[in-house]
Amino acid sequence: MQEFIAQVINGLSLGSIYVLLVTGFNLLLLVAMIIHFAYPQVVVFSMYVTWLVLQMTGNNLPLGIAAGIASSVIINLLSAPLFQKVMSNRRDVDINSSMVLSMGIGMIITDILSHSFNEGLPVAFPDSLSSIVPLVRFGLISVQVGQVWSLGIGIIAVSAIFLILYRTRPGRAFRAIAEDPSGARLVGIPILRTGLYSYGLSGILGGLIAVLLAMLLGSASPGLGEQVAHKVLAVSIIAGLGNLVGGLVVGLLLGILEAIVQGYISGSWSNAIAFVVMLVVILARPKGLFGSKL
Amino acid sequence: MPLELYYFLSITAVNILLSWAMYLPYRVAHLHFITVANMAISGYSAGWLVMTLHVPFGWALLVGFALGGGIGYLVSLFIGDAPTFAVVIVGFTFIFITRTVIENLNAVGGTMGMFGLPDIGGNPDAHRWIIMAILAGLLLLVGFLLHRFDHSRLGRAASAVFVDKDLAASLGVDIRRLGMLLQTVSCTIAGGTGVLYGFIYRSLHVDFFTFELVGIAMTIVFVGGYATPWGTVVLAPILYGVPLLLPPAVQEWRIVLYGAALVLVLVLKPEGFITRRFVVSLESFLSVSRKKRNSFTREET
Repeated sequence: MQEFIAQVINGLSLGSIYVLLVTGFNLLLLVAMIIHFAYPQVVVFSMYVTWLVLQMTGNNLPLGIAAGIASSVIINLLSAPLFQKVMSNRRDVDINSSMVLSMGIGMIITDILSHSFNEGLPVAFPDSLSSIVPLVRFGLISVQVGQVWSLGIGIIAVSAIFLILYRTRPGRAFRAIAEDPSGARLVGIPILRTGLYSYGLSGILGGLIAVLLAMLLGSASPGLGEQVAHKVLAVSIIAGLGNLVGGLVVGLLLGILEAIVQGYISGSWSNAIAFVVMLVVILARPKGLFGSKL
Repeated sequence: MPLELYYFLSITAVNILLSWAMYLPYRVAHLHFITVANMAISGYSAGWLVMTLHVPFGWALLVGFALGGGIGYLVSLFIGDAPTFAVVIVGFTFIFITRTVIENLNAVGGTMGMFGLPDIGGNPDAHRWIIMAILAGLLLLVGFLLHRFDHSRLGRAASAVFVDKDLAASLGVDIRRLGMLLQTVSCTIAGGTGVLYGFIYRSLHVDFFTFELVGIAMTIVFVGGYATPWGTVVLAPILYGVPLLLPPAVQEWRIVLYGAALVLVLVLKPEGFITRRFVVSLESFLSVSRKKRNSFTREET
């Protein structure tokens, strides 16, 4: 039982990161109307930037974290015109071409990471950031500092996003565009500027996720982005594309499922089982469990 | 046949076949990445049959096609009319699961891979010629079928589905059955291609079937032109061949170059280099010149 509780705690902290990733992904999907498949690759790139700045500054944490967040925002804002151009080429909302474009961006990021940083080898974050020190220990149950941070910041960040969406003027603009882009344009909502806000906001979120992932995993590798990208899209589809609440539930459930499977099944099979479960759900309900918001 | 030329031609042919396998379901807006998983499943199964049960290569190749098609059909029962992103994620999930299963199966070499697949013709030179002949035959057959498909009612139905699913459905197109047909054929092509891919190198390794392969095929399809099968034929040798001419230091960055090409083409020339309009005008030009030549010959006689 203790092992089970320990795995649920692990799962909650991992799940909170999935929730953040899916929230950023859905934000771009709903407001900018793009499937940013490479969003997790941007996050992993930010992890590498954080690592690089920490190396260069002798583990200056505030600077490393700021650099990670800044890099994520910059990449998101730089890619915005590309996505906008692709969308305007098709003269209509075509999220499929944005997905292919995003995969191209993902290919570039992954290959740059596997050539330019640390000779393509995985990077390890310093103990001051990775926070794998146990905070509480009770039998087999051990809660690490990184887990508490990721869960705490995850809850705060998701609450902040929901607060922005439901209690602020830009948030109302976000939701209006998500509901009906043509209607939003008619009532004078600046579509382009609001879309750019969503790139910026998801960039900030991406930077935060990068720092949390660094704290939780303690390392990063070029292939991490692809695997996470895959899970984020799967969570998003299982929840129903663009469904923020669904993403929250499914993200947490995936984290817990993965952690429990890892606790009881050894080796690489554990990850495969999580993927089999995802595959079964997607095959059974290709349009999602909670209904798509598109 | 020189080894370099053999590898260039055979891998180009494999890239064309894989890209066609992706092109076909994309006619109904399905990015069907399960093709790469099917290459691995069929390739390893055929390798195991030949190595362990000493099944003749021809039969193993047929099993590869059948296995690919069978898996494609079964999966298409669920995602024949699914949205693109669901099809994408099913493909990626399949690749990941397939890789994990192969890595954990000692019977097919696990993480070490499967080495020493036998020469088909008894010696290396005969092996290369036989592989090249099979690939050439397959290219001609699949190319002909794709050409016929594009000029058939089914092809027009697929174009209608690509543009507007609701409109296509209201015109009487059975979207699910069409999607199932294209996915099954695509997986059949991929299955056979996987077997040949393994026998080109006479070895198989899980790292042959990565997301990088998906990226390469996607670049060929989209940069070449996703609206016709002929862009693939033009682009595959260029994309595979040009990096080979570059200095080794630049060659290392070929995936970045592919990704950049994909991004630039999507932004600047969304339909790719060989567009449908270009193919139609080329076909009409060829048909006019053929008519002129025929009438000229008749006048002469």
